[in-house]
Amino acid sequence: MSSNDKCSNDLGLTLGMLTLRIWLGLRAIQTGIEKFAGSGKPIDSAVLMDGAPNTYGLTESTSAKVYAISNYNGVPTPLYDKFINEPLIPEFALNIYNVVLGPALIILGLTLLLGIATRFSLFLMGLVYTSLTFGLILIKQDAGIAWLGVHIVMIVIALALAKHNRFAILKKW
Amino acid sequence: MDFELPRLSRREFLSKSSIGAGLVLGTPSILKAKAPGATGDDIRVGFIGCGKQHEVLFNAMVNITGIRYVAACDIMKARVGRTFSAIKSRFDYNINRYLSAEEMLEKEDLDAVFVSTPDFWHAPHTVMALEAGCHVYCEKMMSNTIEGARSMVAAMDRTGKLCQIGHQRRSNPRYQFVLNELIQKENVCGQIINLNGQWNRALSSSQDIVSKPSILPEAEILREYGFNAGADHTLNLEELRHRFLNWRFYTDLSGGPISDLGAHQIDIFNWFLGTQPKSVMASGGRSYFKDREHFDNVMCIFEYETPLGSARAFYQVLTTTSSGGGYYETFMGTDGTIEMSEREAYTNIYKESGADSTKWDELVRRGLLKKESAGVAAGGTDAIASYESAPPDKYALPGGLSKQPHTPHVENFYGAIRGVTKLTCDARHALESEAPIYWVNPAANSHEIINFTEEHLHT
Repeated sequence: MSSNDKCSNDLGLTLGMLTLRIWLGLRAIQTGIEKFAGSGKPIDSAVLMDGAPNTYGLTESTSAKVYAISNYNGVPTPLYDKFINEPLIPEFALNIYNVVLGPALIILGLTLLLGIATRFSLFLMGLVYTSLTFGLILIKQDAGIAWLGVHIVMIVIALALAKHNRFAILKKW
Repeated sequence: MDFELPRLSRREFLSKSSIGAGLVLGTPSILKAKAPGATGDDIRVGFIGCGKQHEVLFNAMVNITGIRYVAACDIMKARVGRTFSAIKSRFDYNINRYLSAEEMLEKEDLDAVFVSTPDFWHAPHTVMALEAGCHVYCEKMMSNTIEGARSMVAAMDRTGKLCQIGHQRRSNPRYQFVLNELIQKENVCGQIINLNGQWNRALSSSQDIVSKPSILPEAEILREYGFNAGADHTLNLEELRHRFLNWRFYTDLSGGPISDLGAHQIDIFNWFLGTQPKSVMASGGRSYFKDREHFDNVMCIFEYETPLGSARAFYQVLTTTSSGGGYYETFMGTDGTIEMSEREAYTNIYKESGADSTKWDELVRRGLLKKESAGVAAGGTDAIASYESAPPDKYALPGGLSKQPHTPHVENFYGAIRGVTKLTCDARHALESEAPIYWVNPAANSHEIINFTEEHLHT
């Protein structure tokens, strides 16, 4: 193999690794941020009837999506309500998980995107997705399990490409 | 000379000062509530029953000011704990927790109590709370028996306290607007001849409720609270807990789907028509859930006499199929049809092709209706022109409700306590509307038409 071929292969693998880091990083960061999303205070305006605000309280409402710490919900309520009844998930563990999940996704996404301890970040992200998979197995959400499986495959590919990791702040670990 | 100032309890002061203020100033603005934690004119609230429906009510009232949550009780400790935590996290103060309603009512100084226990406990809890001097908001169905419901009306009359029943559509501005403006004032339907209502619920939403055994009450407690009522053998712990979680399936604990779901909508039939039905015929079956005591599907027809002529109302409640438009109440008249639902998505208004277009255009111009689309014929080679009616134009309500569906009803209750408004659904009016519903299951069981008399419907 000529040095030009090797160089172009390395470039491809390097860019491949970078693409995976960006994808997985953004995926985790934005998923974490969305856990802080909620509806902003609706702006209600009274419907006009005969040129005056109606007396019944009928309104036309508009509201914008906003992000706030007070909106935080780690495990979405419908899923939480199902998990709480699962004998294999103790309530205290679920409550801890509920608090930790959002920040964990954001931190791991950032470390991956910035290239800080990339391999450990990928491994920990894999553990987070595995824990989510465990919950979905209990409530028989097969589509979600398959979707998380795709994430795990991407993480494994990124770990396999780790030696081609460039543009990283901390290459150790 | 010695003299003594008249002594008023805080509860009396709240009621009398509010009424006085309302009379003098004619505006509720002076009744502006103090911040949570204040003790002046805050309404002191307790909860009896902390299950799912309690959560719906609590979530509907968390933004209402001037309320001090004081205590909650439920025979299931975990549920009371959840209510305690919800109030603590939202308002940053503690409430007192009880496992017994009697103890809570005895120890606490409450102005108002919300009852959201299983149907067969509605009447005992409501009567108990009224007699303890509290105003009561009780979930519908008033009771699993008409005698229980009548005892609630009697207790309301005897104590002079307010008793609001949870037919929340009665306070919903959308429903009030449709009845007052579109049906009564503008007569958009013309003569209402047929009514049609339904609540179609999917099989997946009708399954048994399950929970962690470790958080459920023990057999002794469940027996004490009557969850073994009507059983033909001594129930074991598993059977008792099934009844505790799934009381809606048992005839001695609830009225079944026709009262769980149908009560809301049959109430709207009676409210909008302003009268009680003359008769009911019904059919029901345990067609899928064969081991449940109640029918899983019920269809019934009520006959009415209105000032404009006779009318018939068909109602069905299905627990095995969700398609067909979900849940709604339809008023079909000679000029138009109003398909109402608590869900805006299921609400539609149609103009008959023969109705006066000028009148409907004028309603749109004035802002009372929105025009959605002109009627479109279905067409197709299978259409036979002589069989077809011209398609109706489609309209919509001009606005919606920017709160949770239960919020206006709870606001109405609090407003009535403060003396600034009247209850929209006190126990007597609720029972006038609910009374015919108690006869649907008997009509379905007997396969006979029940012609209502004073005996059937009196409150």
